[in-house]
Amino acid sequence: MPLGTLDQAPPPFFKQGPSALSKLLVLGALALLLMVLDARLQWATPVRQTLAVTLSPLQWLALQPLHAARWSGQYLGSLQAAQAEAALARAELVRQAERAAIVEHLAHENRELRALLGMRDRLPTVARGAQILHELADPYTQGVVIDLGQQDGVRPGSAVVDGFGVLGQVTRVRWATSEVRLLGDPQQAMAVVNTRTGQRSLAFGVPVARHADARIELRFEPADTQAMVGDVLTTSGIDGVYPAGLPVAEIDSVTASGADGFARVQARPLARVQHVLHVLVIDPVGLPPASPPAAATAPSAAQTSPERPAP
Amino acid sequence: MIMRAGQALLLPANPVFIWGTLMGVLLFEMALQMAWLGQAAWAPDLLALTLVFWTVHQPRRIGVGVAFGLGLLIDVHQGALLGQHALAYSVMCYLAVVIHRRLLWFDWLRQTAHVLLLFVLAHALQWLVRALAGDGGPDLWMALAPLWQAALWPLATVLLLAPQRRAHDRDDDRPL
Repeated sequence: MPLGTLDQAPPPFFKQGPSALSKLLVLGALALLLMVLDARLQWATPVRQTLAVTLSPLQWLALQPLHAARWSGQYLGSLQAAQAEAALARAELVRQAERAAIVEHLAHENRELRALLGMRDRLPTVARGAQILHELADPYTQGVVIDLGQQDGVRPGSAVVDGFGVLGQVTRVRWATSEVRLLGDPQQAMAVVNTRTGQRSLAFGVPVARHADARIELRFEPADTQAMVGDVLTTSGIDGVYPAGLPVAEIDSVTASGADGFARVQARPLARVQHVLHVLVIDPVGLPPASPPAAATAPSAAQTSPERPAP
Repeated sequence: MIMRAGQALLLPANPVFIWGTLMGVLLFEMALQMAWLGQAAWAPDLLALTLVFWTVHQPRRIGVGVAFGLGLLIDVHQGALLGQHALAYSVMCYLAVVIHRRLLWFDWLRQTAHVLLLFVLAHALQWLVRALAGDGGPDLWMALAPLWQAALWPLATVLLLAPQRRAHDRDDDRPL
């Protein structure tokens, strides 16, 4: 038998390193520690950031087929579909332009009235256009990844909206990408106001299997709630994170269940999670424009879940 | 080492090939997830399969430590709880080290049954950890993932051992 068929060196007799069991015990304990730090204390962020930097070249490489597919899809898509899409966009633009003119007028009027009453001016918000790259793989949460990150000035806690309403909130910021937790995630909460009745409430995600039928529910609504099917919910802005007045959802079921004394009010998000590719990232309003250390603590105001506030 | 009946004498495994397949599978899995699978809970975890395969066949090179490191990378990529995959992969690969001498004496069907148990355990562990962290459960389709993974075991054996099955001295006149 030629020597080439054997391993170059025989296995060592005595120096075999730590046993598999001891390695398992040490690394298992380390994994448990990391999980506790990540879930409860938010101290694992540096570890996560370091690993994310290591992983980013691989992720970039793995994204290339997706980019290629999207590009070729756009390039080879039929002329008719493109024309139909353009017509739709133009109609939407006209509708929005009409609305924008009214809003411009109202904003001007609002400024003057506020000045008259001696109230504080509304803080201007910074918005950035972004593209959704892909869904987060974790099947336990609902999230997507966008192509803006720390280097573009995105901060945790920012609201993410599409052309129709709030899509979710930035929870983790990596160097060039960010993770966005969607509205329908059970761990996600936001302060909303019913535009018809002016009633404020807290909206939480409802656990569902697929993004497509994402829903949110208003908790702690009194049994004699005035909410009706068809009411539109917008952000109320009292959480100090989301700017006020972003459309969120439309109520589609109100049940006066008596068991716990609260009404069950469920709503369907207005944002089109399944079809949207381009989104806007709006900075949290309660923060000074550029101070990264303060930004790290901000999202806890919007994520009121006791289990896991936003990291 | 006792040779079992009919065991082929394999060439030594190339470390570059081992690490190349691990990285390649990681890359392939990420690309597949980002482009197509999204959040599909039923998707087989090919990286876990490759890890168990190399742990069984090359326990001196790939083991619990590598599994832990790759698990952490997967956690960061998926945006999951940090340490969730690391723990599951570590336990899975430890058990693979424990059974590695026995496993290869079985035929492929029984081998598949053995690794199925490992994969089920890894998924159950992740589910338990997330339930304890308060994230609820995904849909029941997740139960399919270990089945796919185990079903791919014979294929992995054929593909990943192929370079070691080559003739040690090439001879153009010999049929093999």
